[in-house]
Amino acid sequence: MIKLIDVVKEYKGGVAALKGISIDVEKGEFVFVVGPSGSGKSTFLKLLTKEEDPSSGEVYVAGKNLASLPKWRVPYLRRNVGCVFQDFKLLPNKTVFENVAFALEVIGRPRSVIQRQVPQILDLVGLGEKLDRFPDELSGGEQQRVSVARAFVNRPLILVADEPTGNLDPATSVGIMRLLDRINRTGTTIVMATHDHAIVDSMRRRVIELENGLIVRDQSRGIYGVGG
Amino acid sequence: MLRINYFLSETITNLRRNFLMTIAAISTVAISLLLLGGVQILGLIVRNVTYTWEAKVEVSVFLLDTATQNEINDIQSTLIGYDEVAEVTFVSKAEAYEEFKRIYRNQPELYETLPEDSLPASFRVKLHNADDAEEIDARIEGAPGVEEARTGGEVIKRLLQVNSLLRTITFAMSLILLIAAAALIANAIRVAIYARRDEIGIMKLVGATNWFIRIPFMLEGVFAALSGALVAGLIVFLGNALLFSRVGDAIQFLGPVLSFSTGELVGVLVLLVGVGIAVGLIGSTLALRRFLEV
Repeated sequence: MIKLIDVVKEYKGGVAALKGISIDVEKGEFVFVVGPSGSGKSTFLKLLTKEEDPSSGEVYVAGKNLASLPKWRVPYLRRNVGCVFQDFKLLPNKTVFENVAFALEVIGRPRSVIQRQVPQILDLVGLGEKLDRFPDELSGGEQQRVSVARAFVNRPLILVADEPTGNLDPATSVGIMRLLDRINRTGTTIVMATHDHAIVDSMRRRVIELENGLIVRDQSRGIYGVGG
Repeated sequence: MLRINYFLSETITNLRRNFLMTIAAISTVAISLLLLGGVQILGLIVRNVTYTWEAKVEVSVFLLDTATQNEINDIQSTLIGYDEVAEVTFVSKAEAYEEFKRIYRNQPELYETLPEDSLPASFRVKLHNADDAEEIDARIEGAPGVEEARTGGEVIKRLLQVNSLLRTITFAMSLILLIAAAALIANAIRVAIYARRDEIGIMKLVGATNWFIRIPFMLEGVFAALSGALVAGLIVFLGNALLFSRVGDAIQFLGPVLSFSTGELVGVLVLLVGVGIAVGLIGSTLALRRFLEV
């Protein structure tokens, strides 16, 4: 589902974020990407949505070589890769329903599909009763659920989460992880960058550890790691 | 259907958020197009003037009442002898008076007080080329029996010169204003893009195509420019209906000069709307190229 071959990413000014990494992620896997700040986690995630292009090496997502993907096809790639962020990125002037519906509207889904799928997905994330609330009327955990709903409403093949629990307390984080686990069980591949030891240790999923732009560990059913 | 609704509601939202900027853009487009429309109308007027008067570019050679028949014959044969001359017509005193009566048939007081033999006899000299009028005028002036030779060519020449100068200046002004209008539209759209940067970010994130993101902003630019074009077009039409037609009716000799066919006016309007849309698209494209890169 995701394949990186010898990927190097240097930003302008010569800062090397990734120094040659190869990763193979199968369909339906749940992968944690761990490592200190500046280790290259976010750069890795940005390669998957072609927000960044590698300086060298190859990136394959859902069977497509992203280097040969023309610019105008990038939106269609992103429809297959849902994204969740630490800061939720919800639109404050739209309700919960509208925030999720927005993701379908702007890719041209018909109204009937939106009316059917949005309440469904909000039920799934446990916000079926709060469709008409605005983001600032919700707790952080609830806001992140809306964000997950938005990322998943289009049933992407891959869900990329960049520290989704970074702003949440441990109890709320567990709720979000349960939600991501449920989504993973539907066959969706999940790649999640995190600093959260407790979560990684309790989930016991594949762990890829980055340090200074290199993979220092790739372990199935791993833990966060000693001293990390 | 959903898409059209979406684009329209986005466009309207943008326009309302940027109300003042939109008004500025619309007014600038309107003023610049009004100038452009003015240039066109001016062109029509000058065409009418030259059309009405060019037929009259001839040399009138007025004869002294004392001219003998010999002198008159000499003048006629001299005129016919010139290569530049196409046709020579003799207008007797009686014919001149009849013509005068015909021209001023609406103002009988003008000719009723005029003695029937007060107008001089003359030769009307038609030329192959209007440019030779002065030359012929100069040659025949002073010949025995000639009181005075006159040409209408000078007036038209001046008119054409003034017109071309006026058109160049007005055209340059409208061009500068059109550039300003495109810049204002680009700026209004830039502000709209900035106001919606979060939404645009999410749209890109969830895979909205670039065109889907761009269209509301393009429509905003085109809408502003189109509104300006319609304002300008309306002013041109009203100006024609309320001003030109009335002046034309009131002042006889301006009538044919100030009357345009509906087709001509529609042509001007189409030009204004076309240029307006082009300005809107150019402005939007400028803004989008700089601020909506993937």
